[in-house]
Amino acid sequence: MPDAKFTPFNMLALLAGLIFAIFPIFWMVSTSFKLRSEWVTSPPTWVSSAPTVDNYLTILAPQILLDRRGGTQQHGDEGFGGGKDDAAGGAIADFLNRSAWPGIKGSVIISISATILSIVVGLMAAISISRYRFGGNFTPFFILAGRMFPPIAIAIPFVIMFGPGIFDITDTYFGLIVAYAAVTVPFSTWMLKSFVDELPQEIEEAAMMDGYSRWRAHATVTVPLIKGGIIATTLFIFILNWSEFLFALVLTYTNVQTIPVTLNKYFSATEGTLYGVQAALAMVSIIPLIIVGFFIQKHLVRGLTLGAIKR
Amino acid sequence: MSEPVLELRSISKNFGSNQALRDVDLVVPHGSLIVLLGPAGAGKTTTLRIIAGLEAPSSGEVFIERMDFTKHQPNQRDIAMIFDNLALYPNKSGYENIASPLRISRTPKDEINRRVMEMAELMKISHILERTPATFSGGERQRVALGRAMIREPRFYLLDEPLSSLDFMLRIDLRTELKRLQQESGRTFLFATPDYTEALALADTVCVLIEGQVRQIAKAQELYDEPIDRDVARFVGNPPINIVPARLTRDNGTANLAIGSMNLVLPAEMEHGLPSSVSDVEIGVRPEHVRMVGADSAESHLTGTVNDLEPLGMHTTVGVNLGGVNLFFTVPGVQEFSDGDSVEMHLDMESILFFDPATGRRLS
Repeated sequence: MPDAKFTPFNMLALLAGLIFAIFPIFWMVSTSFKLRSEWVTSPPTWVSSAPTVDNYLTILAPQILLDRRGGTQQHGDEGFGGGKDDAAGGAIADFLNRSAWPGIKGSVIISISATILSIVVGLMAAISISRYRFGGNFTPFFILAGRMFPPIAIAIPFVIMFGPGIFDITDTYFGLIVAYAAVTVPFSTWMLKSFVDELPQEIEEAAMMDGYSRWRAHATVTVPLIKGGIIATTLFIFILNWSEFLFALVLTYTNVQTIPVTLNKYFSATEGTLYGVQAALAMVSIIPLIIVGFFIQKHLVRGLTLGAIKR
Repeated sequence: MSEPVLELRSISKNFGSNQALRDVDLVVPHGSLIVLLGPAGAGKTTTLRIIAGLEAPSSGEVFIERMDFTKHQPNQRDIAMIFDNLALYPNKSGYENIASPLRISRTPKDEINRRVMEMAELMKISHILERTPATFSGGERQRVALGRAMIREPRFYLLDEPLSSLDFMLRIDLRTELKRLQQESGRTFLFATPDYTEALALADTVCVLIEGQVRQIAKAQELYDEPIDRDVARFVGNPPINIVPARLTRDNGTANLAIGSMNLVLPAEMEHGLPSSVSDVEIGVRPEHVRMVGADSAESHLTGTVNDLEPLGMHTTVGVNLGGVNLFFTVPGVQEFSDGDSVEMHLDMESILFFDPATGRRLS
């Protein structure tokens, strides 16, 4: 007997949804391997006729392309290294001097640090709100206040505070880490609070009765039992930090860069937007998320407290 | 009595504008089993949590072995507690759950092993030590929680309705076992329950907590025979005590009690126990103090009409309209009545309890 859930109509709807969700990713993958002449064509080029890794080389190892440009034009390919691009070479050369590595490095340092900071602060806030009614009814909502404004409205005071007059931490890793943590703590607090709320208080209280201090009871009982929630929150906060653009743009100059800001720089007045290069960088940037997501999905399960209490 | 291991001195607790506990005083002697009895929401759990240190009282002091522990953290008090939801560690095996207090106190490994095995033997749970709580039955969970509490020797034990969600037979089994365990070990138990039969079956002393106040602290039987007020009388006993308004009149040394349209002579020794100023009262009559008698009985009797019937196997609860007042009483076995049947009833006058209708306090 066929499964009732999979009627032809359902299958069709599912397929449509799937295509809708997958298409942008397909386009990004496809574009990252396209030749420059194929980025913007009409009718669109679905899959490159001669796939190239030059887009990736531009962001990861521009030296190879520069060397190739300097050498004889044996290959005659259409990438940046190839002869056909020489007419526009000047503008391209600017980009070739700038790999995406500073951006990748910045993103890794800032996103990881800010995520850890946000989770640690958020976890402590969540436990104190959930378990000790810290701040009464008002504080938990007040924590969300920062999220009630459009980000750009929040960004302006940050620019002023981080400026030379006050903290003088513009264009530093530290500054951006603090800013990211400040912006994501409301999320981590509220997400983690919901997981702590779900855990019966008595389990950690039992640990306190058994002889643990409050801190140790939370560290050895609460935290392991909401591990799934902490991992899910960590991933969520990491994605927020990893893809953040506005703060990274306004709070940095040249010293510190992140991938989203770098992405925006592959653009020039003469060349227009370098879609293929951007797609390649986007590809590079999602790889860590895919890997992490794959490895932690088994932790993203609920129901860990099964059997702890009578219902 | 031996020296108190725990003493509560006028403990009050407010949650916002809601007063959960009001001036609770309680002394728990060493080696006793005291039951905290009260309906849901009476403040039993709050009282235990304050003793455990999981909640701070709004005012009042907690003395443990004659020292003020009011501001101490739970882990500094050396008390074991069994929570009403048991609160086992879901990610740990039965063995680790029981061993947990010993691990925290850094007991040597081989001693932990020996004591856990002993405890498992005692609790009859040796077969589930390797499994996690998700696979336990209700009774096994209960025993593991008990084992985790009993494995160490704290100053005393707090048990918060630990038997509440077990099925009837298991509850009685474990109740008996708990009492035996307490008596054999000579440890001190403070046991909270809303079930008066459980309280009466277990306790040396019962402390009745109603609406956040300690109403009465007494031996179990005393509680039943001489409740301090109407609420306690109602709470203890099943089927519940009959409480009806009555009027007391005194005339030349004989007292008459008017209940509905009935007029009964009150025995002289009963009358002496009552304040002379009283006329309007409420009387409490336990269902077993109303008896059915033959129409030709020499005992005083009244004629009533059956209006309710509830056969319960061992006995039958019968509702009777007696002179305009509805009373419930119990008769042994299954009795065949139908609504409207006329029955002759004898009211055991010596057993009547008198209450002040305004305050609910017992008068006699």
